Amino acid sequence: MKAGSVPHPLRPPAVRVPVAWPRVFASPTAAGAGAAVVALGLWQVAVLVTQVPAYYIPSPLDIAAALWRGRHLYPLHFAYTMYATLAGFAIALLTGVALGTLVSEVAFLERTVLPLLVAGQSMPRIALAPIVIVWFGFGIASKIVLATFSAFFPIFLSVVHGLGTANQEQVALLRSFRASRWQIFRYVKLPNAVPFLMAGANVSVIFSMLATIVAEFLGANRGMGYLIVQESNQLDTAGVFATISLLSCAGLVLHYGIQGLRRRLLGWATLSELGGSRT
Amino acid sequence: MIEIREVEKTYRRLDGGQVRALEPVSLTIREREFVSLVGPSGCGKTTLLMMIAGLIPPSSGEIRLRGRRLDGPSREIAVVFQSPVLLPWRRVLANLTLPIDVLGLQPRSHYVARARELLRLVGLEGFEQAYPRELSGGMQQRAAIARALVAESSCLVMDEPFGALDAMTREEMNAELLRIWEVSGRAIVFVTHNIPEAVLLSDRVVVMSHRPGRILEVLDIDLPRPRDFSLLGDRRFGALANAIRSLLSTRSTVIS
Repeated sequence: MKAGSVPHPLRPPAVRVPVAWPRVFASPTAAGAGAAVVALGLWQVAVLVTQVPAYYIPSPLDIAAALWRGRHLYPLHFAYTMYATLAGFAIALLTGVALGTLVSEVAFLERTVLPLLVAGQSMPRIALAPIVIVWFGFGIASKIVLATFSAFFPIFLSVVHGLGTANQEQVALLRSFRASRWQIFRYVKLPNAVPFLMAGANVSVIFSMLATIVAEFLGANRGMGYLIVQESNQLDTAGVFATISLLSCAGLVLHYGIQGLRRRLLGWATLSELGGSRT
Repeated sequence: MIEIREVEKTYRRLDGGQVRALEPVSLTIREREFVSLVGPSGCGKTTLLMMIAGLIPPSSGEIRLRGRRLDGPSREIAVVFQSPVLLPWRRVLANLTLPIDVLGLQPRSHYVARARELLRLVGLEGFEQAYPRELSGGMQQRAAIARALVAESSCLVMDEPFGALDAMTREEMNAELLRIWEVSGRAIVFVTHNIPEAVLLSDRVVVMSHRPGRILEVLDIDLPRPRDFSLLGDRRFGALANAIRSLLSTRSTVIS
């Protein structure tokens, strides 16, 4: 304390209390985790207070117990579902980028194939699940087909859109360097399409997982969707929630994986330019 | 060096009608010459420039570059557009090396060294690894000018390159362009609607009329070089600027 700084008689000395906890939550991850802990705590208390039966709404601790009980069961089913999800997504990514490129570069295909595919896009694709199972059986093939089918359109349309909105001044610049069509594609159109593609992929990977689970609901002998049906038939609600919580975690990992890739690839663009959110 | 012979441009409208943007125009641009095209908006000066750049085909007539007919963009003619058109995903140096990659210039290392040198020339040393959006408008246009110089083409066509800049930056860029032109030894065809800018920079000023565009007059600017902004107070400078201004205004009063 400086000499002569006598405390004011009426005002209490201004003691700066170090406010530690909000600073921890300045990090979005910590803030999110904190909010989750609080929400789970409230849930637990609510279930304890209201005495809702566990087969109706299980408490977080019931779910944790179910997770532990199923520790030998889940890995196989989880792997099975993730395999179909990622395989479907990968096929959708390859075919979506390839077809999207063809359609936007070849005027004839743009006039003929694009309207067909746009019409296909408006179809509720999940509704095809029963017929896909008839066609491809109870094994993993039907899951991958439905996942691919669901994941294809967001990728395809984002590629068509991204390639179609290439900046005409940038194209003129490339033409002034005597660029070939391929060079214009490679140096201008493709980089322009990447932000669109990343947004499409982000939606698409979640679609792929949803489609896999729905296909497993309808006909499967393995996978998380199959497990949910089994558990709910046995009124093992905690088990259903445990399975769903694992799927949520997988969804988060996939989402943030793509976000991380996007940040790496699109370091040049500010987020506002992309019109993207932080999530 | 560049011969423009009876070049004209007619655009087809969507309803099938035709719009004549440019009446037959003839003009010769000499080696190392600085020629400005001035005129009101819609006088076809940008159309003419883009035809020289090979980006728009003429409806009739021909443009010859050192005796050879142009039928598209040429490696000898580099373009600076109204906006910088830097690719936002490439860093500044990578934007300068873009023409090297696209034109496939060899040996690459020679041209990359040249690109670095040009960045220094336009005062962007130290910004090699910056992204375009980190640069101000004036800096971006400097980078665009440097990019146009990388391929060592013998002619530069510039479409109102400083039109979007504020007045102070614009003066600065004019001075810089004069300096670059003097050391680079290129011919420059420069479109502007700023009369003092045209007089300050040019060897000749081509005054064009309102649509359909045609050449009203070509003025020789016989002011001594090197020039700077002290010329703005010069009597002859004022006389030339006034001559251009009256050419443009009499023409527009005749029309209206």
